[in-house]
Amino acid sequence: MKKSIILIVLGCLIMGFVPVQAQQKKVQKLGSYFGDMRARHIGPALMSGRINDLELHPTNSRIIYAGTAGGGVWKSNDGGATFNPIFDDYIQSIGAVALDPNDPDNTIYVGTGETWTRNSVSVGDGLYKSTDGGINWTKLGFDQSERIANIIVNPKNANEVYVGVLGALWSDSEERGVYKSMDGGITWDRILFDGPATGCADLAMDPNDPNTLYASMWEFRRTAWSFNSGGAKSALYKSKDAGRTWKKIHNGFPNGKLGRLAIAVAPSNSNILYTVIEAEEQDRKGLYRSDDGGESWVQNNNDFGITVRPFYFSRLVIDPKNPDVIVKAGLSGSISRDGGKTFKDLGDMHSDIHDLAFHIKDSDFMFAGTDGGVYRSWNGGTTFEIVENLPLSQFYHISVDDAEPYNVYGGLQDNGSWFGPNAAAGGVKAAQWTSVGQGDGFRVLKHTTKNIVYSEMQGAENVWRYDLDKGRIKTIQPLPKKGQPKLRYNWNAPIALSRNQPDRIYIGSQFLHRSEDQGESWQTISPDLTTNDSSKQNQEDSGGLSMDNSGAENHTTIFTIAESPLDENIIWVGTDDGNIQLTRDGGKSWTLTSSNLPGLPQPTWVYHIEASVHNPGTAYAVLDGHTRGDRTPYVYKTTDFGRSWTSITTDEIKDFARNIQEDTVNPDLLFLGTEQGLYITNNGGTSWSAFTNNLPPVAIHFIDLQTRTNDLVLGTHGRGVIIIDDISPLRNLNEAQLKSKLNFFEPTGMVMRDKSAGFVEYFGTETQFVGENPSRVAQFKYVLPKRHTFGKMTMEVQDMQGNKVATLNPKKSKGVNIVSWNYTMRQPKVAKGKTLAFGGFTSPRVPAGDYKLVIKKGRDTFEQIFTLTNDPETSTDSAYFDAKNRITMQLYDMTQELAYMVYELDALLEKTKSKKIKGKLQALKETLVITTGDNYVGAAEPQLREKMASLYSKVANSYSKASPNEMEFLDVIATRFNAAKKTFTQLKKRAKVDLSTLKSFDTFINE
Amino acid sequence: MNKLTFTFLSLLFVCIHSLQAQSVDEILDNYFENTGGKAQWESLQGIKMMAKVNQMGMEIPIEIVQLKSGKQMTVINFQGQQMKQGVFDGEVLWNINMMTQKAEKSDQETTDNVKREVKGEFPDPFLNYKEKGYTAELLGTEEMDGAECFKIKLTKKPLIIDGKEVENVSFYFFDTENYVPLVIHSEIKSGQFKGQISEIKMSDYQEVGGLYFPFSMVQGVKDQEGQTISLDEIILNPEIDPAAFAFPEDTDSDSK
Repeated sequence: MKKSIILIVLGCLIMGFVPVQAQQKKVQKLGSYFGDMRARHIGPALMSGRINDLELHPTNSRIIYAGTAGGGVWKSNDGGATFNPIFDDYIQSIGAVALDPNDPDNTIYVGTGETWTRNSVSVGDGLYKSTDGGINWTKLGFDQSERIANIIVNPKNANEVYVGVLGALWSDSEERGVYKSMDGGITWDRILFDGPATGCADLAMDPNDPNTLYASMWEFRRTAWSFNSGGAKSALYKSKDAGRTWKKIHNGFPNGKLGRLAIAVAPSNSNILYTVIEAEEQDRKGLYRSDDGGESWVQNNNDFGITVRPFYFSRLVIDPKNPDVIVKAGLSGSISRDGGKTFKDLGDMHSDIHDLAFHIKDSDFMFAGTDGGVYRSWNGGTTFEIVENLPLSQFYHISVDDAEPYNVYGGLQDNGSWFGPNAAAGGVKAAQWTSVGQGDGFRVLKHTTKNIVYSEMQGAENVWRYDLDKGRIKTIQPLPKKGQPKLRYNWNAPIALSRNQPDRIYIGSQFLHRSEDQGESWQTISPDLTTNDSSKQNQEDSGGLSMDNSGAENHTTIFTIAESPLDENIIWVGTDDGNIQLTRDGGKSWTLTSSNLPGLPQPTWVYHIEASVHNPGTAYAVLDGHTRGDRTPYVYKTTDFGRSWTSITTDEIKDFARNIQEDTVNPDLLFLGTEQGLYITNNGGTSWSAFTNNLPPVAIHFIDLQTRTNDLVLGTHGRGVIIIDDISPLRNLNEAQLKSKLNFFEPTGMVMRDKSAGFVEYFGTETQFVGENPSRVAQFKYVLPKRHTFGKMTMEVQDMQGNKVATLNPKKSKGVNIVSWNYTMRQPKVAKGKTLAFGGFTSPRVPAGDYKLVIKKGRDTFEQIFTLTNDPETSTDSAYFDAKNRITMQLYDMTQELAYMVYELDALLEKTKSKKIKGKLQALKETLVITTGDNYVGAAEPQLREKMASLYSKVANSYSKASPNEMEFLDVIATRFNAAKKTFTQLKKRAKVDLSTLKSFDTFINE
Repeated sequence: MNKLTFTFLSLLFVCIHSLQAQSVDEILDNYFENTGGKAQWESLQGIKMMAKVNQMGMEIPIEIVQLKSGKQMTVINFQGQQMKQGVFDGEVLWNINMMTQKAEKSDQETTDNVKREVKGEFPDPFLNYKEKGYTAELLGTEEMDGAECFKIKLTKKPLIIDGKEVENVSFYFFDTENYVPLVIHSEIKSGQFKGQISEIKMSDYQEVGGLYFPFSMVQGVKDQEGQTISLDEIILNPEIDPAAFAFPEDTDSDSK
């Protein structure tokens, strides 16, 4: 007995130490200290992004779900007018969204990993379930599934769930085929499997007989340089016994190999099935119909719209009310009203339609999921309108300029090239984005000194130089020179500018091309820097059963170029087939430096090279192996011009990486863009932390740092541009600071800018996504070692004498806290009237000068002195601002003086017994404040209070000192006020009422 | 030696504490125990909070009254005028229209929803939650503002939104260290923000008459900047004229 107690105690002692040690380790973990730092999203949403799957609630027409290719799951509660994200804590690539028909309000399944398997697809990580309408999610496994195509719940048994797993695109995998659960997803049996290269591409259940299932199996594989669709194992299966046994249903099918097949059962007639077949026999591809539950098939159609790109468009949807009305996904989307014999294109919308859905109440209403977002049709698919609040844009690349506010440039999957401001009046709206390129967009770069933008389309088919001032657009892509072979450009061909020579541009094919005159003439400054492996140069044969030569499989190409900011002769080049090449003499000679990267399988795609701003010999290389099924992040650093490389990844990073950004101040502060979000290290890569404050684990393809604002700008492939404002606190976050009670960082926004963001245009933006603006005002930043919960914590700005100037709301998170202040003190106390004097709600700006920020937390007081300065663009003469502030405060004081006078007058009115004096007091009051009417169109004529408040507001809100006209009006008001004061003093004397019980002026003003 | 014993004992305490898986009721019991005791919470008849909303230089004093009977109101003070908002007398929910300064009744559905849940909310929805027909479930732990929290799902009686019955669920994050709630999340059920998650953050817990209240609350939408309400004072069991809650039939609100 005693022994066991001792054991428990000893055990406890050990256990007790564990958390202490864990805690110590935790202190070093940057991730717990991001605190209040929060990402903001600026879209754009006007071109939205790829939708993989749509799901409608079976009985509530207001509820619609969109599973997106790279931007998570979105839910509409208003019939498709607007959507909200509901899956932001999880991987963002979605294959399928399904509701449990037994509990459609609450139970949702999400299968991750997009299933329209183009070259640039993201990956998934399994199956999720929510039982509360999408607020909380539980992972149900399938960790290695990569892509889930379908989820079906038996409408008569919520525990019976089927999942069609397409599986890995880039490699063999065991976790694919059809799976079944009989316990709501806790345990699973694989019920259909045909080898590690064949997955389930489509799954259907007979709506009238849940034991009858149809599954299309697809043999497919993608490599970095080719795609193969089809094989002997592609087939359509039927099971009549809930998946226990399956048989092929190919009676009437084409001979030879099959590719990707879609399958759909008519909800109104279970015998009618449709399939779309990708086949070896060209003439036998197309739409097939069965009227006997799949026993036999008849080919009905093989138009372009039906057979185009099966890997991208194999979705058939049947009108729930009419088995002869079917829609097929496609380049434009097709609709048939005669059982699939003939089709016409759907109405204009973004091309590349992946899914369609008929409204549950009226089949004339339809929804379409495209490469450019969700569309609605109210007339049977003839005209479509876009959902405007889905910021799903898929960036390949972004960059920033140095404008105020700075612009973000970037190219999008299937949606051209764009730039837009990071801030705008009322937020960044659709109208703020400018198109600067067509096709698929990739690298978009702004000339460092001229108003010129470079952009490109896929495979550098066009590289544009766009002079925005003159409206001149020219294509400048390098063409082969005499004796040169065909130039091999990547789908996402690299373009780079020089920080040393503004007119210089680099473009990479298999060679590095350099222009010193903005692309007019080109010099080839390298030999073929790739492996030039001819077995990887057959992109024209790509596609398998359906040829698919889009340029997306161009391989053995240069993919990244970086000229050192410190030395223009140092240029790094990385290729998609694994070479890291370096020149230190401006291209005269080249050295292969990638033969010795520890732990790296060869060859691995060199995705990004970051040439350090701190040291010419230092560079970072990010390599990506996912195109051969390897999701390990590979990130290396060299400090000796590539002679040796050190891995700087840890197992804290969940998925493969594409981009790294080095901080320009702290060389140990690095930002890593991965397939699942952003990771940050402040110790050079010894440990990494995911940044998740309003940042979903979305694929980040490119990162840039705006060096004036220290904003980290992320180009995501599915959620547009996401910005973390001012990362400078992370530069200085050291162990000592994290342990102290409170530590201030340098405040920002200390110049009180007068430049207006302009008038806000809200017109027509009611259902539009509006990007969040950054703070334009002062920000105080400090770090707390622990969340503040008990006891008072206050924050105020004081003048240097310790007088309170403004009360602020302190933030209380563990880690970095950020508090904004718009340089204003409290609004003046305004006289009580019948209605409101709106001018009195203006808070005046404090004058420039030194102030103290004072935080009181429990018994501790923390102070930071800071200096506010005037906007030099308004005036460099402090007397100018003094004059403005003096008049503002004169009116502020007058307003408060009048407030006290009316307070006294009201007391006098109440206490005085003389009717005559009462009458005079009332008459005086009616000239001082409004005593009738309301705050809108019943408003009374303004009196002294209202006029004074309006002038006060007019002067206080202006960037300039009071105008002569305002000074004249001030004189009018002051004269009137003085006269009123005189009258009031006389009346006070005559009334002879004791006012000693009234509050003093100071008490009244500060209450 | 004493110091060592103390360390030893506290380790033991921590250990035993963490060895036991906590049930939702244990967490809630700790919460009530740490904030004044269930009996005292049960005996509370009402509270009046004097607070300020402070937003970028604008300082607006407000008073919030909540009574056990379900009556409640918020009084906003603008330029000496008292604008009552969210006033509920047990039957009628009303607000002062800012334009006309006259009282207007809320729509019936909103009123019914308030009526349905207002009594259960005071002084805390978790107090005797089972008797109220609520359920509470511990979902696990999650970090909020850098503090490890127990995540508890509270399901109250359903609401009617736009004519349809909907579940009434909120998620409370109780600090694992001291058992007070730090954050409340719930899905916004109607209006422009429908479908987004509302967030209330609580801090500055202070003792008033033996009970602990958060003196600072930040309200907003999750992942967006919220609005802070700072409490200056809380009066327990305030005397409030019942007429203050009554809908002023056809009268000018300014005199109320």
